[in-house]
Amino acid sequence: MSSMFGFGRPQPSSAEKIAAAEQEMDLVTDMFNKLQQACMKKCVPRDYREGDLHKGEAVCIDRCASKFFDVQMKISELLQAEAQAKGGATGGGFGLGGL
Amino acid sequence: MEGLTASEQREFQARMERKQMKEFMGMFSGLVNHCFDSCVDDFTTKSLVQRETGCVTRCVKKFMAGSERIGQRFQEQQAQMMNQPPPGR
Repeated sequence: MSSMFGFGRPQPSSAEKIAAAEQEMDLVTDMFNKLQQACMKKCVPRDYREGDLHKGEAVCIDRCASKFFDVQMKISELLQAEAQAKGGATGGGFGLGGL
Repeated sequence: MEGLTASEQREFQARMERKQMKEFMGMFSGLVNHCFDSCVDDFTTKSLVQRETGCVTRCVKKFMAGSERIGQRFQEQQAQMMNQPPPGR
């Protein structure tokens, strides 16, 4: 049935669609892991005198996460601007903007 | 993830499960490294002493708590991203 509707633009194959979904998942997982590593390192001292997050650590983590996203956004903008300034080929490049 | 048929959905699910297993193993080994590194640096005894055991327990507990909190912030951020297109376009 894809031959009925499928001309004009090529339909992505099953494998391609699954791979794309998988890649998206990988990106999100990777981002979460990086965020966690970064903010635990910056906010949680390594002496482990207690097992709960205390107030200061929790607030630090919230702010750290927020700033991490800010930096991510900022760098993505800068790279996009750079890519646009250079050559102007805006296709593809860093697909982070839409994440 | 939207336009997947049922069978594609199943294949995707299967892959995700394998990935989750791998992810879990990675988390486990990372946590072992981190807590070992943070809590154990005295080798005058052969087994963990009480202080070290306690430290490891708290290390894991704190990691979980931090992970949960970061997960919440992360989800909020993802949801926000979905609702508004990225700026600068």
